[in-house]
Amino acid sequence: MRAALLLFTALVLGFLLAPMAAVVLLSFSPTELMVLPPRGLSLRWYEAFLTEGRWVLATRNSFVVAFATTALATLLGTAAAIGLQLGRFRGKAVLLTLLTLPMVTPYIVTAAAMFFAYSLVGLSGSLAGLVLGHTVVAVPFVVVAVLATLQGFDATLLRAAASLGAAPLPALWRVVVPNIWPGIAAGAIFAFATSLDEFVITLFLAGPGQFTLPRQMYASVREFLSPTILAAATLLFLSSLVFLLGSELLRLRAARRAAR
Amino acid sequence: MRRTNLLAAALIAPLLLLILGSFLVPVGLTLFRAVADREVVATLPETSAILAGWDGEGLPPEAAFAALAREAGAALQARRIGDLAQRLNFERTGLRTALLRVARAADRLAAPHAQSLPALDARWGERETWLLLQRAGGPTTALYLLRAMDATRTPQGEVRALPVEERLYRTLFLRTLGISLLVTALCVLLAYPVAAAIAGLRPPWSAVALTLVLIPFWSSVLVRSTAWFVLLQREGPVNGALQALGMLEAPVQMLGTRFAVVLALVHVLLPFAILPMHSVMKGLDGTFLRAAASLGANGPQRFLRVWLPLSLPGVLAGGAMVFLLSVGMYTAPALVGGDRDQMVAWFIANFMNRDVNWGMAAALSAYLLAMTGAMVGLVRVLTGGVAQAGLRG
Amino acid sequence: MTATLVRFDGVSKSYDGRTRVVAELDLEIRRGEFLTLLGPSGSGKTTTLMMLAGFEDPTAGSITLEGARIDTVPPHRRNIGVVFQNYALFPHLSVAENLAFPLSIRRVPRAEIGRRVAAALSMVRLPGLGGRRPQQLSGGQQQRVALARALIFNPPLVLLDEPLGALDKQLREELQAEIRRIHAELGVTMVYVTHDQSEALTLSDRIAVFDQGRIQQLGTAQAVYETPANPFVAGFIGENNRLPATVLDATRLRLAEGSMLATLPHGLQAGAAALVSIRPERVLLEAAEAAPNAAAARVEEVVYLGDHCRLRMAWAGRTDFFAKLPRQQAGQVPQAGTTLRIAIPEAAIIVFPA
Ligand SMILES: Nc1ncnc2c1ncn2[C@@H]1O[C@H](COP(=O)(O)OP(=O)(O)OP(=O)(O)O)[C@@H](O)[C@H]1O
Ligand SMILES: [Mg+2]
Repeated sequence: MRAALLLFTALVLGFLLAPMAAVVLLSFSPTELMVLPPRGLSLRWYEAFLTEGRWVLATRNSFVVAFATTALATLLGTAAAIGLQLGRFRGKAVLLTLLTLPMVTPYIVTAAAMFFAYSLVGLSGSLAGLVLGHTVVAVPFVVVAVLATLQGFDATLLRAAASLGAAPLPALWRVVVPNIWPGIAAGAIFAFATSLDEFVITLFLAGPGQFTLPRQMYASVREFLSPTILAAATLLFLSSLVFLLGSELLRLRAARRAAR
Repeated sequence: MRRTNLLAAALIAPLLLLILGSFLVPVGLTLFRAVADREVVATLPETSAILAGWDGEGLPPEAAFAALAREAGAALQARRIGDLAQRLNFERTGLRTALLRVARAADRLAAPHAQSLPALDARWGERETWLLLQRAGGPTTALYLLRAMDATRTPQGEVRALPVEERLYRTLFLRTLGISLLVTALCVLLAYPVAAAIAGLRPPWSAVALTLVLIPFWSSVLVRSTAWFVLLQREGPVNGALQALGMLEAPVQMLGTRFAVVLALVHVLLPFAILPMHSVMKGLDGTFLRAAASLGANGPQRFLRVWLPLSLPGVLAGGAMVFLLSVGMYTAPALVGGDRDQMVAWFIANFMNRDVNWGMAAALSAYLLAMTGAMVGLVRVLTGGVAQAGLRG
Repeated sequence: MTATLVRFDGVSKSYDGRTRVVAELDLEIRRGEFLTLLGPSGSGKTTTLMMLAGFEDPTAGSITLEGARIDTVPPHRRNIGVVFQNYALFPHLSVAENLAFPLSIRRVPRAEIGRRVAAALSMVRLPGLGGRRPQQLSGGQQQRVALARALIFNPPLVLLDEPLGALDKQLREELQAEIRRIHAELGVTMVYVTHDQSEALTLSDRIAVFDQGRIQQLGTAQAVYETPANPFVAGFIGENNRLPATVLDATRLRLAEGSMLATLPHGLQAGAAALVSIRPERVLLEAAEAAPNAAAARVEEVVYLGDHCRLRMAWAGRTDFFAKLPRQQAGQVPQAGTTLRIAIPEAAIIVFPA
């Protein structure tokens, strides 16, 4: 019984991981043929990725947008989460639902709405519009992550800071932020990952020349399936592994803290 | 305390403004497009005004014919007739031609226009055409919302289902719902034992197994859909493997099939089912089962009467999450599905990009939102308002 | 320099707009004194303290510090030290950094900060622990750090909200002595909240007894113990026997059984109902025949408590009259069932109008 359960689990985990493993293997294929097992190993598709203008440009765009999104989302999301935790007023739950609504709204609807409304004010096709769009879908994760760590924050510390002479903003900066930074960092990682992977909104909001990595991948897949796409996919996959590692380290740290 | 609230408000305000301005208002505006009807009034203001006073009997007065010819001609000159032509043609095929004929001939048309217009295109001699124009005078219309349910309004104003061969969207919604429910069911069935097994593992192994679930969870939907696109090629690894195993004689077409869509969706969404279930099950320690055993429950009873009910919140959360993400999913079906496997999201995208029909894009969005809203509401009711876990897609 | 440091004038506070948690509070706090707010849970002590610290706004009335209104000044500009019950030490800072916090906020030069931190640490007898994290200290040590942190920026006034509530009895007594020493050394004004009456009696120059948002009595420890202003104060501080009584004439009261001589407060007419409060330790046992208010009382129960015995006796029509028997000499403990001759000196009888 237990053996069967473990075997089933192993099979399902294999199913979850096999496609990514295959893509990683195929990206080292020496030819354009995508067969498994690969007949040899080569880095030519990575070389192509690193030298072809459109991939380089897409990578750059992706990182520019992701960094801007992360900065904006982390700043606004952290501030709002702290505000939600500090404030003593009614309707907090409604406010939180409003702020995290983009999380449960189908991306296609968000994308359509932004495409329509942003073009009214000339924001569609612009870098600012793209960053704004990504921020909207990334920021709820920051709010949720920071709120979660704030649950463990003792509000009397803020009173103590005030009694010692710290004005509200310095108190937030010197007392709240240092105590909740794992949550802020986790939110920032999630925001960065969300922006880097974001595809549907970019598809509609980006201008004709604004290719991000996912958009370039999608366009290339439709055009001609070259292993360069697999190299790009592998790199994106590796970046998500890095994010996973980062978030797990933060989680372990938080768990150790709570245990203390 | 007042001061604290002021500070809190100042901290929340920037994000609230951002969400309002760049999300809530845009969504609201877009949804309004589902019922907005402005093209006729904007392009044919005078015609519209005259028709407003028409009793709908027989044909409208000569003035209406003359105004239509003049305004259509002017609009063509100014190159802003496209929206109107599309709006009319969407409600009744052929009206684009009829309108453009009048617009092109506007200068040459002789009075009385009530005769020269029908001579140019017979549709202008039909009362139905004018009734349609009258009703399109805005400011709102149910046209798109009705059409997205395969219904229409007769010129007399009755709501009627479209003839079977023109029906499209009911099937689309049923297909979307069907695929999503199938994917949800498969995910729940696969995830439940996996989550339970991981929750029962000893420390180093439980962390390892959980990480193996988190890896696909963190990697993007597009990357994973692309992986399936590659694997399912006719000459791709899956066909190759099946042939090598002797299970297939010749490669089969897998891309562009319903099977591929369901397979990719299950793969993409499975972690979203496993994680909430696992986090609930992790909290159920063995003492419950031991207590049940001490009370005389046998294995199946312990499962059915203790473990299953206690783990149900996780099942609910995971299932709802999968359904929610699946029902609005664009990427995976767009990549591995064929035209007949596409879901609502794909149609919305097409109405925006290809047809530039905002009314339909908005109407479909409204129904999609209603579906997800109903799901969120249902889960809230079932779980007594427990906050939803994070989700990505 | 006037003698008054802080003044509450008709201060009321309501959280919900209906019930007043603090009602029309008038209170003067004298410069350099150690004032304790004592009262049962929920009586409004913390609320009063928090209004003084600036964390709650009064609903009505005014608070002045050094003659200037402070109820509109934000807490961080009041310059009042606060010691919180849960210490509220910053967990991300070391002990020395915690102590340096108020100084660096005030832009004190670095060298001076170092000096003052060292001095503060030795004042609370924790030299050499500056590098530790608060979590690495015991509860008593943490509270010493919290005290030092509230004092290090030389505030004229320090507020302490049940600072010793979380500590065990021995540590509590040790720290009480410490706080008294520091108060005497620095001459700073301290307002101390507690619901522990012995702590209040030990520490305070004056005690304000709170109940239901009002000060029931304000006075020295001796005054509130020996001449309680009302039955609540009498009952809240120390033990007492309460006996309902009726006034017979200018010097005598009738009890449920028998009568006794007492000094009556003004305005109690013959026939009026009264309440008599008698502290158990003021009951004389084995009294002479001629002693005032002498009577026979049967011992119902004896509880041996080491330094004294607690006797439950039947007297004046009740069976829950308590008396304390100090054990000055070793000897026989009275047995239940025996009858003793008790007496109650007139000065030990406090009479309230009922
Ligand atoms: N923030 C608040 N909101 C609403 N009511 C409050 C709040 N703080 C205190 N109260 C109420 O005000 C009353 C007085 O509370 P306060 O904390 O001042 O009492 P306390 O004398 O300090 O009691 P304790 O000894 O238990 O600390 C209580 O009934 C309490 O429930
Ligand atoms: Mg209190």
